[in-house]
Amino acid sequence: MRRYETIIIIDPDLSAEKREPVLERVKDVIAQQDGYLALIDDWGTRKLAYEIKKKERGHYIRFDFCGTVAVVDEIERFFRIDDRVLKYMTVLLEKSADIEKIKEEIAAAESKAALTEVPPEPAETKTPEDQTPPAETEAPEDQAQPAETETPEEPAQPAEPETPEEQAQPAEPETPEEQAQLSEKQPPETEANEADTTPTETEEEIK
Amino acid sequence: MANNAHQAHRKPKRRKRIYHRRKVCRFCADTTMVINYKDPKALKYFLTERGKIIPRRISGSCAKHQRELTHAIKRARTIALLPYVGSVDIN
Repeated sequence: MRRYETIIIIDPDLSAEKREPVLERVKDVIAQQDGYLALIDDWGTRKLAYEIKKKERGHYIRFDFCGTVAVVDEIERFFRIDDRVLKYMTVLLEKSADIEKIKEEIAAAESKAALTEVPPEPAETKTPEDQTPPAETEAPEDQAQPAETETPEEPAQPAEPETPEEQAQPAEPETPEEQAQLSEKQPPETEANEADTTPTETEEEIK
Repeated sequence: MANNAHQAHRKPKRRKRIYHRRKVCRFCADTTMVINYKDPKALKYFLTERGKIIPRRISGSCAKHQRELTHAIKRARTIALLPYVGSVDIN
């Protein structure tokens, strides 16, 4: 049996009760096809990076389940037909999943969660991103981590630590620094953007 | 004139070597960082303002991690966590 993860975006204008049938249907399908639904992770409503069916926002729900291709086929067929679901994506997590192990992981995560998080319960459903509960910080990749139970956004951890100082780095930093270096060592051609300024230009400037 | 042009041709080459800065892959440097497509905030730093993936020669990532990164970014785009085009404003 394989372990999959499906993320769906549901129409944000639907009320919670109206969303419920979709979840029910997914549960039914997984049960029918002898799958095992490990967890349903509700990320809440968040802004989409681009419009889907003219909607700016979407309600994200993540299903973590085990099953065969039949399960995936069936629920994807359902998502395609159903217009409450704006978009879906299924990702293969493990090629051979052990249900017992996953159950254990979930149980472990629950007990851990019960210990660590006491007050911030309500906040979690609504703000998937800005909170990084200690328990989940080490959730590596998508695979496994039972911790995910209540981390709507488990990967938040890599983001937060280096947000302020390092974030700028990959994008711009290189160029300004290089420019600075350039200007230091070759004063005449200050505006040389990179080392590879065309020879003709530099020559003219020197003259 | 012609002479100068020749020199100019040669000069930049030497300079290039001098100013070359060794870039380090951030994921190799900090092994606790995990590439995950569900974390658009982290992936955002490897995108330009227009939402393009920053090339390896600029960001300095190693081949392995750049590959993972690309994969993650593409997944995130599929599910509307990151834009295909346009500014990355993640709240």
